[in-house]
Amino acid sequence: MSKEKKVKKPKGKLGKLEKREARAGYLFIAPWLIGVILFMLYPLAQSFYYMWYNIRITPLGTKFIPVGTGNFTQIWLENPEFPKQIVTYLWQTIVQVPIIVVFALMIAMMLNGKIRFKGFFRLIFFLPVIIVSGPVMNMLVDQEAASIPAMNIQSITAAFGTFLPQSAAESVGEIFSNMIMILWYSGVQILIFLSALQKIDPALYEAAKIDGGSKWECFWKITLPTIKPMILLNAVYSVIFMSSNEQNELINMIQRAMFSGTKEKGYGYASAMAWMYSLVVTLVVLVFFLLLGSKKDVYDRQVKKRKRAMKKEARLVKKIERRGIRNVKKLEKARKKRKYRTYTGESDY
Amino acid sequence: MKKRFLVSVLLIITMLATLAGCGGSKKTSGPSGNVDENGVTTDEITLSFWHYEDETTVTLLAEKFMEKYPNITVEHRVIEDMSTDLSAAAAAGNFPDVFEGTDSDTALANMYWADISEYFDADPENENLMATIKEYGLGCFDTDCRFAVPMVYWPSAVFVDKAVIEKLNLEMPRTDWTWAEMIQLIKDATVDPGAGEMKYYGLGYYNRLDSLYGIAACASSERQIKGEFGFDGDTFDLQYWAIGEQEFSDLKLAGYVAPQTETQEMEDWTGDWEAWFGATGHVAVFSEGFWTYMNIWAQDGYQEDLGLEIVPYVTPNVVDEPEHNVIATMYMGGVSTSCQYPYEAYLLLKWMGWGIEGWKARIEIYNDTSITNASGVPLKHSTMPTPITLDEEVWAGYKALFPGYEENKVIWDDFFANITRPVPYGWYNIAGYWNFCDQYFNKIGIHDLVDKGTAKAADYVEEATEQANYYHAEAMISYFGPNGYDVLSDEDLAKYQAVVDSFTAQ
Repeated sequence: MSKEKKVKKPKGKLGKLEKREARAGYLFIAPWLIGVILFMLYPLAQSFYYMWYNIRITPLGTKFIPVGTGNFTQIWLENPEFPKQIVTYLWQTIVQVPIIVVFALMIAMMLNGKIRFKGFFRLIFFLPVIIVSGPVMNMLVDQEAASIPAMNIQSITAAFGTFLPQSAAESVGEIFSNMIMILWYSGVQILIFLSALQKIDPALYEAAKIDGGSKWECFWKITLPTIKPMILLNAVYSVIFMSSNEQNELINMIQRAMFSGTKEKGYGYASAMAWMYSLVVTLVVLVFFLLLGSKKDVYDRQVKKRKRAMKKEARLVKKIERRGIRNVKKLEKARKKRKYRTYTGESDY
Repeated sequence: MKKRFLVSVLLIITMLATLAGCGGSKKTSGPSGNVDENGVTTDEITLSFWHYEDETTVTLLAEKFMEKYPNITVEHRVIEDMSTDLSAAAAAGNFPDVFEGTDSDTALANMYWADISEYFDADPENENLMATIKEYGLGCFDTDCRFAVPMVYWPSAVFVDKAVIEKLNLEMPRTDWTWAEMIQLIKDATVDPGAGEMKYYGLGYYNRLDSLYGIAACASSERQIKGEFGFDGDTFDLQYWAIGEQEFSDLKLAGYVAPQTETQEMEDWTGDWEAWFGATGHVAVFSEGFWTYMNIWAQDGYQEDLGLEIVPYVTPNVVDEPEHNVIATMYMGGVSTSCQYPYEAYLLLKWMGWGIEGWKARIEIYNDTSITNASGVPLKHSTMPTPITLDEEVWAGYKALFPGYEENKVIWDDFFANITRPVPYGWYNIAGYWNFCDQYFNKIGIHDLVDKGTAKAADYVEEATEQANYYHAEAMISYFGPNGYDVLSDEDLAKYQAVVDSFTAQ
């Protein structure tokens, strides 16, 4: 039996060319590394340290007064605004993310079709990405440009209020009043869906058509399963975007707490708030992952089962082979010790 | 390969250059110790001044200061948000040398202000300031040290429209009127002519009457009220506030108070959603900010066009006392703890705030109406403050700046004579006051509840008083105790600790 050997890299010093290539590689990723260390890992560690202290930044230096879990108890027990905003955030995210993802998919499918001025329309739908990423969005919201004037929000809220609790009805009304803004959050998601749609093999659609599949069936059986990972990606992207943009009241609350000069608040209090909020965001992402995470279809399951069976079979063959070798060795040993003889043909068998 | 290497090096250099641009703060060498005969440094120095005033006015004032002290350069900027701007500056190490504050809790909690007692007490000019500044220790925050001085002052004022009083055939009130007389005038001047004609309202308000009443609530012999909510320098007593709060809400509910801008009531009354009651000619008494007179009513032709004749009255006292306190907007200013030239900074503070020379320079600037600010407004019409010094020359120049002064000289003179005992709103002068409002008072929405008639102000007195005393005591320990400035005596610390303990034990 021949045994496959892994090809190992020869040990020893790198060559001149390899060294140079490695150096260039490190140099290329150096800006990213510096960025991550300076603007992510360091602030992350710093805020983790800060959250156990009451911090006063005086003109003569920073004073750290240890408070243990004081910041947390203060946030949950003495700041009714924080839990209230967390609930609002959860509710809005759960409702708004599906709206954004579905809208983005619809637009992406339209842009992927055979239409005139495709490039122009793609530009139009991507434009809000530039607008919402700056202070312009705040100005537009202040000018009430984020709502549809013809939409009677009060009536919608009242209608929902007939079968929902008042706070839930108000949240729904809020979503309708910010409908334009929600749809404006779809720019990047449209692009992601568009690229996913363009990668679907047209042969699949052709085969489905030959088998008599309608467009509706093609969408459900080909398009949707193929772009499913992108739905998860877009949902996660939307959650992260909505959790960290300037319109998010919790972000503003943390910012206000950070720069608040009152003795209870400040950097320590804001850090504790930020860590708790990031835990909530992580949980939301986890929920979306569990809901939209890839569950293998029947075909995938069968393939996996077959692979498992083949592996099992291979293991069995190896086992038999090993047993055979062992038996041969045993026989050989016994023969050497003359514990048995082979038939020589001299007498009866 | 060479090309790739160069590109990557370039990327890193660009990034590092960007990072370097993020930080950076000015570095100054320490004081040399060389001073002139007045004790002012002879070093070439730069002082930074952050404030809330009109930018053009302060630029001109700074220029005049620099003319007097040629070796001192003054850099100034307008504060947009005190908390954010100052905490960011402290974190970045470029804290201003001198600044005005609208929220003393922020300044004290973070030890922004240095103790300037040494300079203030030794300055003979400070003997001639409005009496309450020394008497009540405004800027000392109930300690023996002076951390701040009132810089910018606007008295509370009650304006009366003479034209409306005449139209309604009412008597003009006497200039040393009482609280009851003001309430009676508000009631008498509320007239609904009917037949589609606009209603006359007795009161149009910017400041709620409870704020005014809190200071004017009783005779000084009964309680020496030094601040809002019946604060006497030691404890609060909100029963005084509650009477004013209830009276004001009752007036609102009974229809004596004109609607506010951008309300349905305003549209129903004037036909204009955005109208302001002060421009209707149908309101008799106004509890407006003092700056409203110069900023709006005193503009050329404004009163003539609308048929108004506005005159100021002092906020009346409940008891008929010839001399009484008035509530005031007073920005506190101080020298920062990181300032390397505190005496020079004190001189700048005085110049920009209460100093006679500074005020003379101001009046000269205000008199030149050809100088306008960025909005094209002559500087005296851009939220001009009131002098804190009692210097006669300054006051003569100041009074002459008011266009309506000569026509109603007696009323104006009486008004000015009666505003010399200012008591600032709580957040300027009481430690812990803002925390109390932010974390308790504003959260329970007392004003709304009482205004709607769903609650009585008196119901909150006991609890609110306890809360206010607790927040004040806790702030005093935190700001001035061992973890803060450390200027309280053991006796004082024990006193405040007892209040905190008794509150937390409940």
